Amino acid sequence: MRAPLAWSVAGLLAAVALPWYALQEGLDSGAWLSGLWSSEDYASGLAQSIAHGKWWLAPVLASLAACLAVALLPLERERQGTLLLLASGLGLLLFVAQALGIGLRGWTTEWLNALLGELDARQVGIGAGGALVLIALLSLLSIALALRGGFGGDAFVAGAVTTVAASIVLFTAWPILRILLQAFQDGDGAFMPALLIDRLAAEKIWSLRCLTGGGRCGVAWNTLFLALACGAGTTALGLAFALIATRTCFAYKKTLRVLTVLPIITPPFVIGLALILVFGRSGLVNQFLEWSMGVQSTRWIYGFQGVFLAQLFAFTPVAFLVLIGVVEGVSPTLEEASQTLRADRWATFSTVSLPLMRPGLANAFLVGFIESIADFGNPIVLGGDYGVLSTEIYFAVVGAQLDYGRAAALALLLLTFALGAFFLQRRIVGTRSYATISGKGDSGLPTPLPDRARRAAQWIALPWAGFTLLLYGFAFVGGLVKVWGRDYTPTLDHYAKAFAIEHTADGLIWSGAAWNSFWTTVKLAAIAAPLTAALGLLAAWLLVRQRFAGRATLEFATMLSFAVPGTVIGVAYVFAFNVPPIEITGTAMIIVLCFIFRNMPVGVRAGMAAMSQIDRSLDEASLTLRGRAPQTLVYVVLPLLRPAIVGALVYGFVRAVTTVSAVVFLVTAEYELATTYIILRVINGDYGLAIAYSCALIVLMLAVILVIQFLVGERRLGRRAPQIQGGRA
Amino acid sequence: MSVEFRDVVKRYGTATAVAGVSFIVEAGTLVTLLGPSGCGKTTTLRMIAGLVLPSEGRILIAGRDVTNLSATQRDVSMVFQSYALFPHMSVLENVCYGLRRSGQRKAEAADRAREGLKQVGLAGFEERQPSELSGGQQQRVAVARALVLKPSVLLFDEPLSNLDARLRRQMREEIRELQQRLGLTVVYVTHDQQEAMAVSDRIIVMNAGRIEQQGGPRDLYERPATPFLARFMGESNPARGSIRRLAPDKVSVRLGEAEIEIADTATADGEATVAVRPEAITVEPAPGPAGTLPGKIAKASYLGTHMEYSINTAAGTLFATCPRVERPLAAGAAVAVSLAPRGVIIVRQ
Repeated sequence: MRAPLAWSVAGLLAAVALPWYALQEGLDSGAWLSGLWSSEDYASGLAQSIAHGKWWLAPVLASLAACLAVALLPLERERQGTLLLLASGLGLLLFVAQALGIGLRGWTTEWLNALLGELDARQVGIGAGGALVLIALLSLLSIALALRGGFGGDAFVAGAVTTVAASIVLFTAWPILRILLQAFQDGDGAFMPALLIDRLAAEKIWSLRCLTGGGRCGVAWNTLFLALACGAGTTALGLAFALIATRTCFAYKKTLRVLTVLPIITPPFVIGLALILVFGRSGLVNQFLEWSMGVQSTRWIYGFQGVFLAQLFAFTPVAFLVLIGVVEGVSPTLEEASQTLRADRWATFSTVSLPLMRPGLANAFLVGFIESIADFGNPIVLGGDYGVLSTEIYFAVVGAQLDYGRAAALALLLLTFALGAFFLQRRIVGTRSYATISGKGDSGLPTPLPDRARRAAQWIALPWAGFTLLLYGFAFVGGLVKVWGRDYTPTLDHYAKAFAIEHTADGLIWSGAAWNSFWTTVKLAAIAAPLTAALGLLAAWLLVRQRFAGRATLEFATMLSFAVPGTVIGVAYVFAFNVPPIEITGTAMIIVLCFIFRNMPVGVRAGMAAMSQIDRSLDEASLTLRGRAPQTLVYVVLPLLRPAIVGALVYGFVRAVTTVSAVVFLVTAEYELATTYIILRVINGDYGLAIAYSCALIVLMLAVILVIQFLVGERRLGRRAPQIQGGRA
Repeated sequence: MSVEFRDVVKRYGTATAVAGVSFIVEAGTLVTLLGPSGCGKTTTLRMIAGLVLPSEGRILIAGRDVTNLSATQRDVSMVFQSYALFPHMSVLENVCYGLRRSGQRKAEAADRAREGLKQVGLAGFEERQPSELSGGQQQRVAVARALVLKPSVLLFDEPLSNLDARLRRQMREEIRELQQRLGLTVVYVTHDQQEAMAVSDRIIVMNAGRIEQQGGPRDLYERPATPFLARFMGESNPARGSIRRLAPDKVSVRLGEAEIEIADTATADGEATVAVRPEAITVEPAPGPAGTLPGKIAKASYLGTHMEYSINTAAGTLFATCPRVERPLAAGAAVAVSLAPRGVIIVRQ
């Protein structure tokens, strides 16, 4: 039994030779080496518990030592498993109890004070030593479960499940739970249930005065109206596109597909910016009206209509992606059957095809709804007085109000909306899906669209597609003129201002204003992308291929975090990680973690889809051929998963670069990101630089996509992988 | 090496796939798990492999308790229904896979893999991709891949179900020949009783998660212990007959007007369920001699090697196969039915 031995020793080493608590200056300075025993800041776990009065650490270390003893005893397999389970489980419980129970000011809650008396000690966030001990205990627990026959008797699987589950609990569930707690607390952290009701009942949230005339509606209503409109609009447009792409002989179908890639690699507010350039006060339309008819230019684009338009442009491609699968999924055989039953094309379309698409349409609507309420970039750029929940939360945290409780209550409301839509979506899609794509080859040709429907679809979709391209074009040109609306002289000034590199006596100086945030973004996204892909695919592999207790819960948790709006995640991270036991606010680590856990669910989805196309018996063949689980993963599963790996890596990187809503709360002067930098430029009216920077980001992401494809090998991004079955691929 | 199951149970949530199964597979024999789909035979096989761990009970391989060991830690290999050849590796790489994972060096593994491919008659196919092989060749690669590891137990999960009828017979003969030549311990799963009878030393018939009966092919066919077995192992006509003991080892069975004497030591006098094999029924144009059963042909089909008849009689509708194709009887003909003693079985309930 080498694994329990190795982990016990590793854990104990970490408890003796590494500082238990987090260091202000980080580990790389090396100053801690001399203070491992004597300095209270630098001391190891063992030293803390003996020499510095942190007696509560001693039992944790003792249970780790007990694990070592069990590992050394010559015991029967299952007996050893049971003993190891007891020792490591107890250690974990004690670890969690002390971490949550004792904080910066002694006991963390009043009732502990009352029960045990004031504690005259404090502890800061967990550092390298503490974290390693926690990892060692978790690993020992997984090994123990595998020894007792859990997880198919495989320690690797057990460890992987524990890793994924623990990280989701720590970095998704715990922060969201913190929002809930925060919403009940007043400024001093006291627990006041009535406060939440006060905060939620505020008139600013629920007022309906805009309907009765006079005054504005509450932000909750604003959010809902916008989301309903956006869901309906994107679904209608997406359906029109999907029908044209699959059921007509429209000549430029491929170009339509390009439209779906654009919003993925575009920072979410670029469309908003482009709308300002066209319809804004000094935009083209206003200028033309003023020039031709003398109409005074107005700010009419700011408000509901602006945000709605921007979201419609930004999210229609998403609806298109959802619906193209649905439209393709309607079995041609059913349509052919209908036609042989005396139904003409229009009757077939309206009585067979369309009803079959209904669950898909509901799905697309809810996706549009969720995207809209989660959107932060467009409302903040174009919203004007029209506040929605995500921007309101931002101002509660960042603005002059600095009201964390209110932010938490609003976040809770936003979360409720999102989860409500999410559950509705699962119910609709889960119970009423006419899954018409079977594994069997479905012969038969899709029926062409009846003329009436085709004409309607083309009249809606094609002008819209043209307009979308036009907007992107304006956005591009906007970065190449001096001052939009006043001076259209072509210039590269904005690019120079952002990305200047100067030659001086001291060598190259990256003097452009954007370089700092640009490199930070690239660095953090490059760290996060492989981790996101790895964790996502690992989770997908577990969910598709392994049977274990709690599998359904784990799957549900990963999918749930997909529905949590970025703004909520951002606020939650601020609340959860600026106090011990995990104190990482203001570091690069919190941004990377946010990237990973924000984007992982998509990796899980993609991985699960790809993996369920690979015959399970391939894995099993490898297992019965002496390939252990990790070897099976490396030699059999991953080579067959290349397209999914490319997808997860690209997505992990691109989303990290383009995200705004979550990280806007986490950036600092030291770790500023590209998108948050651009947003600030936009708010200050510096459109030229913002546009130049956005274009540079789009180019960067295109380059990265090409590089990742080249590195991983296969060029199959976006195409559906063929069914892979053992021996007959 | 031997395989032993002691009271093994496997539950999935509330559903019970295997409900308390005990058996022993002797070393060097080929034992088949036979049963209809959903009877738990594949789950049982996968528990031997370690791909599924039991909820209760113990599993021993070669006398060693392997109940909670994972597939990798057990000395077994498996041939899958879909063959499960790795599509991104050549034939040689596929056969090498297990050897490489067991820590053999590349050259050594390749030598043994070539040896294994020669054994299944596929020398010269090393560099092909699995997709370039026919179904039968893929099957042989899968067998070679499992064989080269010299496992203590070799498992086959419905290995022939993706082949056409002619190839199926050839492959099952090859598998049996290989097993006997190398003295392998093999556990074989199938739902086809003919295939099971052709390859097995012993057959374990399962139904609804339990073992219905186990024994040699001849035992099971000629002495089925339950009505399920009589139906499942070959065709049979269920009927009610009255039993009268003639001697300590002989009874008379009366079906309508027909009466036959068969060997039996246990059954008491009175009514009993009787199974009549279709090949034990002889059909003559009426009128027949005394002791035959008068009847009328309801359906007659010509099948080349034999005739099939449905006959309405006083003992119910009987299904009969008759090798005499040169003088077929037409539907509607009055016939006399006589029964051969070896095809009449008293089934205990």
